[in-house]
Amino acid sequence: MTATSVRVPLSAERRAAKPRAWGAILPTVILVIGAIYCLIPVIWVFIASTKSRGELFTTFSFAPGTGLFSNLADLFSYGGGQFGMWAANSVLYAGVGGVISTLVSAAAGYALAKFDFRGRDLIFYSILAGVLIPGITLAVPQYLLLSQFGLAGGPLSVLLPSIISPFGIYLSRVFAASAIPQEILEAGRIDGASEWRIFRLIVLPIMLPGMVTVFLLQFVGIWNNFLLPFVMLSNQGDYPLTVGLYTLLAKGSGAPALYSLAIIGAAVSIIPLICLVLFLQRFWRLDLISGGLKG
Amino acid sequence: MRLAPYLFAGPAVVLYVVFMLIPVLYAIWLSLRAYRLQAGGTFGRRVEVFVGLENYIGVLSDPELLASFGRLAIYGLIAVPLTLGLALLFALLLDVPAVRAKRFSRTAIFIPYAVPGVVAALMWGFMYLPSTSPFSYLTEQAGWGPIPFLTGSGLFGSLANIAIWGGVGFNMIIIYTSLRGIPDELYEAARLDGANELQIALRVKVPLVGPAILLTTVFALIGTLQLYGEPMTLKPMTNDISQTWAPLMTIYRDAFLTDNLPAAAASSTILALGTVALSLLILGIVNRKRFGARS
Amino acid sequence: MRSRLLATGATLVLIGAGLTACSSSSGSGSDGPVTLDFWGWGVGYEDVIKEWNDANPDIQVKHTDAGGGDESSAKLLTASRAGNAPDLALVEFTTLPAMIVADVPLDITDYVGDIEDAFTSGTWDQTRFDGAVYGIPQDVGPMALTYREDRLAELGIPVPTTWEEFGAAARAVKEKDPNSVLTSLPASELGFYAGVAAQAGSQWWSIEDGVWTVGIADEASLEVADFFEGLVRDGAISTEPLLTPEYNAKLNEGTMLSWPAGIWAGGVFYGVAPDTAGKWAMSPLPQWTPGDTKVAYQGGSGMIVTKGSEHPEEAAEFAKWFNASEQGNKLLLDSRQVYPASSVGQEMAAESEPPALMPQQTDFYQTAADISSETIPVTWGPNVNLAKSVFEDQLNKAIADGTPWRDAFAATQKAVVDDMKKSGYEVAND
Repeated sequence: MTATSVRVPLSAERRAAKPRAWGAILPTVILVIGAIYCLIPVIWVFIASTKSRGELFTTFSFAPGTGLFSNLADLFSYGGGQFGMWAANSVLYAGVGGVISTLVSAAAGYALAKFDFRGRDLIFYSILAGVLIPGITLAVPQYLLLSQFGLAGGPLSVLLPSIISPFGIYLSRVFAASAIPQEILEAGRIDGASEWRIFRLIVLPIMLPGMVTVFLLQFVGIWNNFLLPFVMLSNQGDYPLTVGLYTLLAKGSGAPALYSLAIIGAAVSIIPLICLVLFLQRFWRLDLISGGLKG
Repeated sequence: MRLAPYLFAGPAVVLYVVFMLIPVLYAIWLSLRAYRLQAGGTFGRRVEVFVGLENYIGVLSDPELLASFGRLAIYGLIAVPLTLGLALLFALLLDVPAVRAKRFSRTAIFIPYAVPGVVAALMWGFMYLPSTSPFSYLTEQAGWGPIPFLTGSGLFGSLANIAIWGGVGFNMIIIYTSLRGIPDELYEAARLDGANELQIALRVKVPLVGPAILLTTVFALIGTLQLYGEPMTLKPMTNDISQTWAPLMTIYRDAFLTDNLPAAAASSTILALGTVALSLLILGIVNRKRFGARS
Repeated sequence: MRSRLLATGATLVLIGAGLTACSSSSGSGSDGPVTLDFWGWGVGYEDVIKEWNDANPDIQVKHTDAGGGDESSAKLLTASRAGNAPDLALVEFTTLPAMIVADVPLDITDYVGDIEDAFTSGTWDQTRFDGAVYGIPQDVGPMALTYREDRLAELGIPVPTTWEEFGAAARAVKEKDPNSVLTSLPASELGFYAGVAAQAGSQWWSIEDGVWTVGIADEASLEVADFFEGLVRDGAISTEPLLTPEYNAKLNEGTMLSWPAGIWAGGVFYGVAPDTAGKWAMSPLPQWTPGDTKVAYQGGSGMIVTKGSEHPEEAAEFAKWFNASEQGNKLLLDSRQVYPASSVGQEMAAESEPPALMPQQTDFYQTAADISSETIPVTWGPNVNLAKSVFEDQLNKAIADGTPWRDAFAATQKAVVDDMKKSGYEVAND
């Protein structure tokens, strides 16, 4: 799999930077301002998570508080350690769902890009139209249908609908079309390799950079999805982080919202995503998205 | 060979049919029905009955729907050009050879994409409300009074800001990666003609990433029509966002608050058809322009 | 690569196994211990469930927090339509009628005969309709005024006992300390406006012989609208949203001086402004007529047994223990930290320590008991959520545009009546 891998780290600089300081200062300054603009609210979450309940609404927004450790202790002891369980569920849904979704999308994208078969355009455009349907509309019908099969309520009811990703299939098709040379496939067929073997040994390794992108987008999408798991799940032990944090904030009339718990929970729940972005951004290739329209 | 593409696309097609197509058809069927009272019990019972196009007539004759599309238009006119413009600017700046702190800026600008809506909601409340906002704190120190983030027309800017904050990084990466796909020779030729970096950016780079910009525009427009998260985020903090501020908020209210799923299904169908029409219109205009330019 | 594909294959096989497992596991046998699913929001359920489960090995209860407020009722309705409802659920009094017409709760009149005396008649009326009991009340929110004792004393303003005094107090606060405001009563608080309208003699919903009457725009309600419109127009009270970071900051600063709401208001404030404990007090809600003592409820919830439950008897037994027994009420007070609906719970509360926000007010629960001994029975309609949504939008528009509040009340009334007629209810209004 390493032989045909085409990992091109994005960070590799293509042109040697010439030391023309004057021409670089303004662009650098603008970029750093943009970066700070994007980071300010994130920095705020981490600062707010150090504040005790009393400090949250009384001290200056960006002044650190004194409650970090008691907040953390409260968070992980809430409801007998439910937060850890929610986090584990999020990892499970986003991880397993993301991997399966990526593989399903890659196989479909490859078929749609590299084979000419009856119904190809119908399949492609029908799936693509799925981008137009808001999740709010789908959640309840999906629930009612899954109930017919006795699936609603459990973890599978969140996992299965998360696998289908019109955008992921679209990306995979575009990437397969531009990255896989027809000759390699033909050569494989002449050698007598089965289609499955060609897909496994030739196609998947070539598509890996694109698949990393699809995986990351799906992982983030599933991780941050609230409505689907909220509607589907009927057992607190199956909740992902988004639904769990929601139950901390949404109480019946008269019950106080657990603000500081929700904020520290939010801060903790962003950390894995930031790590994942930092780690995967060396491998992923978002240019495949626009590649398809270049033709 | 003949069977192979069907097998590769099979899992995606099956999942698509089960989890998107059937729920969509089910939603359309629901849009022709309504919950009506029948005798029985203390207050009677609400049961589902067929009402034909009544829900559609109700939705289309609701003046609030038209008003909410008007608000979307104002919001879109601010958010879409700014998101894409900033994304393009940042992408071009990242592509300037001598710029420093590239990896930091690129990562920082992308991070908001990974922040879940629940967290963003908490965060922006603190950023916008007069007595907790660090920005209003500064303007008040300067004697200008708090910034009206959440009232009147300031609201559109505040909503657009959340969308820009969350979306600029993703679009920047799309444009940036497609910029890096441009062969160096094109720049060399321009340099030999005496063009400076700014001229190269405007005359060579921007036209070449046109397809990527087109794609991000279409997605930004779909995102605008499906605007929901940002106004829902700010709703608890201001009286100026009604429950029917955006079309998707009305759909949410009908589906989740007032137990009127059929009306929500009818509105969704109309919204989806409108989105298809708008997307086709844009793609049609662009294609005609291209075609005209070639002939 | 091979191993990953194998893993995928294995996962798909597992999914297949899960499909069959799930379809066969629904519905437990009739013998052996019964497991009851229970949906409810809030804190402190671990203790409750543990105590019950330890004492009742044959009836095990499993609790899930399915979210509070508005969205959870949609979830319960959807689950019920799909046949997946839990055995027991906590439901706000305002949404119970909507649940009943959607056929969610079971008529448990036959199961609750032995606890008839556990609640006052006014409290039972929150879950009893036309003689049929659809739930057991859990917590109630008789309306009271939670206010900053220290700030009002400092400004020399007496605690208002009538709404007229309340208005005068609001104007006095504005005059003496322009940075402070007596209270904020935003349009989102339909429960508040319905409650004070009930004090004035209005009934926003009522049903007699199967015919509904909607009174959101009756004369008493419109006068209530005029009164609060006047205060808002003069800037004497605000309509900013409640419990936002902004509002919470004002609570902490001591510039938001009161909240007329259910007696639970102090608990909510303690959650966001714990450092202000000791500076607050609670008194009975102001009255329209001096000398009156009756108030309405704002908030509160009851436990229902769902129609889909396979073990209604056991479910009702748990609900009775939780809400009507001495043991259950002790847990409601100590762990759930709510004001119990039952008389026994309120008696126990009267002897317990005052809430954390007002430790100095030793007669807090005695006052609460006095307030709840006489409450105005309020009937909620089947479309309260729609009313809430329309009321909020219309009233906000009126406040922003400077149009009369009466019009907003009338528009809400019209929308509610139209919706009920369209759904097929008989409505006496035009």
